[in-house]
Amino acid sequence: MKSVFLTGVGGHGVLKLSGILAEAALTAGFDVRKSEIHGMSQRGGSVVSQVRYGNRVHSPLIPAGTADALISLELLEALRALPCLRRNGILLVNEQHITPAPLGRHRVPYPENVRELCEDGVETVVFVPAHAVARALGNVRAANVVMAGAFSTFAPEISVEVWVHTIEAAFRPEHRELNLHAFRAGKYFTATD
Amino acid sequence: MRKLLSGNEAIAQGAREAGVLFASAYPGTPSTEILETIARQGDIRVQWAPNEKVAYEVACGVALGGGRALVAMKHVGVNVAADPLFSSSYSGVNGGLVLVSADDPAMHSSQNEQDNRHLARAAKIPVLEPSDSQEAKDFVRMAFDISEELDTPVMLRVTTRICHSMSPVVLDADAVYIRKPIRPYRRKMSKNVLLPVHARRRHEVVEVRLERLAQLGESARELNRIHWGDRTIGIVTSGIAYQYVREAVPHASILKLGLTYPLPADLVREFAGGVDELYVVEELDPFLEGEIRALGLRPVGKEVFPLTGELDPDKVAAVFGIDLGGDGVEAVDEQLPVRPPVLCAGCGHRAAFYTLSKMGLVVTGDIGCYTLGTLPPLLAMDSCMCMGASVGMAQGMEIALGTAADERRVLGVIGDSTFIHSGITGLINMVYNGGAGTLLILDNGTTAMTGHQDHPGTGVTASGEKTHSLDFAALCRAIGVRRVRETDPYDMDRLEAVLNEELAADEPSVIICRAPCRLVERVPLGHPAEMEIDCPGCGVCLELGCPAIEELDGRSVIDPAVCTGCGLCAQICPFCGLKVDTIRRDPVTA
Repeated sequence: MKSVFLTGVGGHGVLKLSGILAEAALTAGFDVRKSEIHGMSQRGGSVVSQVRYGNRVHSPLIPAGTADALISLELLEALRALPCLRRNGILLVNEQHITPAPLGRHRVPYPENVRELCEDGVETVVFVPAHAVARALGNVRAANVVMAGAFSTFAPEISVEVWVHTIEAAFRPEHRELNLHAFRAGKYFTATD
Repeated sequence: MRKLLSGNEAIAQGAREAGVLFASAYPGTPSTEILETIARQGDIRVQWAPNEKVAYEVACGVALGGGRALVAMKHVGVNVAADPLFSSSYSGVNGGLVLVSADDPAMHSSQNEQDNRHLARAAKIPVLEPSDSQEAKDFVRMAFDISEELDTPVMLRVTTRICHSMSPVVLDADAVYIRKPIRPYRRKMSKNVLLPVHARRRHEVVEVRLERLAQLGESARELNRIHWGDRTIGIVTSGIAYQYVREAVPHASILKLGLTYPLPADLVREFAGGVDELYVVEELDPFLEGEIRALGLRPVGKEVFPLTGELDPDKVAAVFGIDLGGDGVEAVDEQLPVRPPVLCAGCGHRAAFYTLSKMGLVVTGDIGCYTLGTLPPLLAMDSCMCMGASVGMAQGMEIALGTAADERRVLGVIGDSTFIHSGITGLINMVYNGGAGTLLILDNGTTAMTGHQDHPGTGVTASGEKTHSLDFAALCRAIGVRRVRETDPYDMDRLEAVLNEELAADEPSVIICRAPCRLVERVPLGHPAEMEIDCPGCGVCLELGCPAIEELDGRSVIDPAVCTGCGLCAQICPFCGLKVDTIRRDPVTA
């Protein structure tokens, strides 16, 4: 069984990404569970989702410290979620800072050494310039699919054909080409890392 | 065909397969997507009701008339619908009637974590608890069959982790919607007119019905079943807790209950007799545990499992001394900035709450996005209890604080959908009983927090048809409020002046602030704000809590990609350094 923890900031496509991963796993023939908390997901708060797939999955929630991969669409949110990941798990982080909305004049600053903190204690960390890649492709909203491509390298149990099919089914015709490019760009990034 | 469905989507699918005629709901996390999905399917007649009581009553009428009806609501919504619920138990049904209660353990998006199995037991109706999406779909169909066979409303009790988790569901790809034939209706006053003389006899019927339901639970293997495993540990469980047990204690013997009330006593005794030690694993209250104790058995339950919050595989494993292999990366030492949900850039609620905070009012608040006005830096709310409470509590606070030495000004604040849900009666009370309170209605033209559902004020139905749009000002006047003002919240000086006038008035008053939700009305309000001076970093604009304003190296910086040009920061910048060209502003009369 594989457990993937996904996190990010509301409105940036975490739930779309976890949906694509769950659908791809189902198409690949696995039992799948996906969980999410999305009460206020459009209001800029932290959003997490969990996807588990394998021959038989029971709990949609991942036991602490057992996730095989942590995919974060934002640097600070990766730090927050670190304890979900097993020590030899894979951390994939979109290299993007999103400063939390100001809570008045006295606030905890955004950690300056966020990259180093991500690297502490995790064996495999890949910083993916997903935001920049998606922007170069024409739409920053595709950053989540760049991350799906980056993750696919570490998930050989799901074939590229299945990913492509899933992404095609997940977007309206006018957005398919962009997202397929985003997927391939992400995959290329980790495959040659 | 296997399809990934959330629990809510699966319930909608189950309703379709059960040939349901009618479905109604009031939006509430985690239940909202049930009716949204049914509406998208387009087969079943759907309604957004003004509140859960009305939703349930219309469904009762459909059921009495012989059609199948489904009503969905969040757990606290069942409190609102409790009056018809309890008495409909006595009347019974004709066509099937299923109430979906979506409970929210851990209060991801709720004000309490009540366990609604208690309400079903108090109303003497059966409870079905699915443990994944497949069961959510299948149990809906079974619930309708039970409802019609045993002449009872049925509660399908789900929780956030069922509603919002996805798992594969086997579907018939070619299945078409076949409406269940309408059962003949004939007048039966002794059953449906609950005069005391009728109701006394009906109560007898209800008690017999409970016995028959218990017998059903003994034999219905698709609902209640035993998995024999290691006989040293026997676990009784239901709902999502079943999945955690399967993950954490895979070797144990399990009695999985799908029909959790009434309890199948013989099945429980058989199971207890076959294991060395009996456990009950359930979220929230010791509901099953109490029922099992009443049989004279001594299970291990809430002395080792938490009474509050959600369970998870780790909590279950810990009790049984099982290691799930967690060897996690350590949490970072330093304090991380929190990232709570915030009012969106350009949200009209921000203008209102900044003004209320500045005026130092006592604010009785209500349920919706605007409850976020409580969080720093706005800190503008004194209370938020339940739907509609802002109005009654404002009057009550005024009665209490008005007699205090340091008289403070009280304002009730409520949203459009919440006002329709249950604020109207509070306002009637204020007028009738000679109150002089002031109510601020923040009308953003949608039920925003739950994801923008229509309501009687939007002029659009759940199926997308145009309909009458409730006129808030006319309604308030009809109630007897003579001072009804409408003002643009983005003009904060004007809003403050209107508030001062109305709070000083010696009679009830209502101020309506209309500002369409920015997530619905995506047209910018103006050009992004621009900093025209060398920002001295006074931080005044940061007190708006706007996600478009960031503090960098002691200066305020506007993110033009996020800014909607609402102009609030420009209104409060003491150095007049922020400039906004407003390109669009709703015309408003004050």
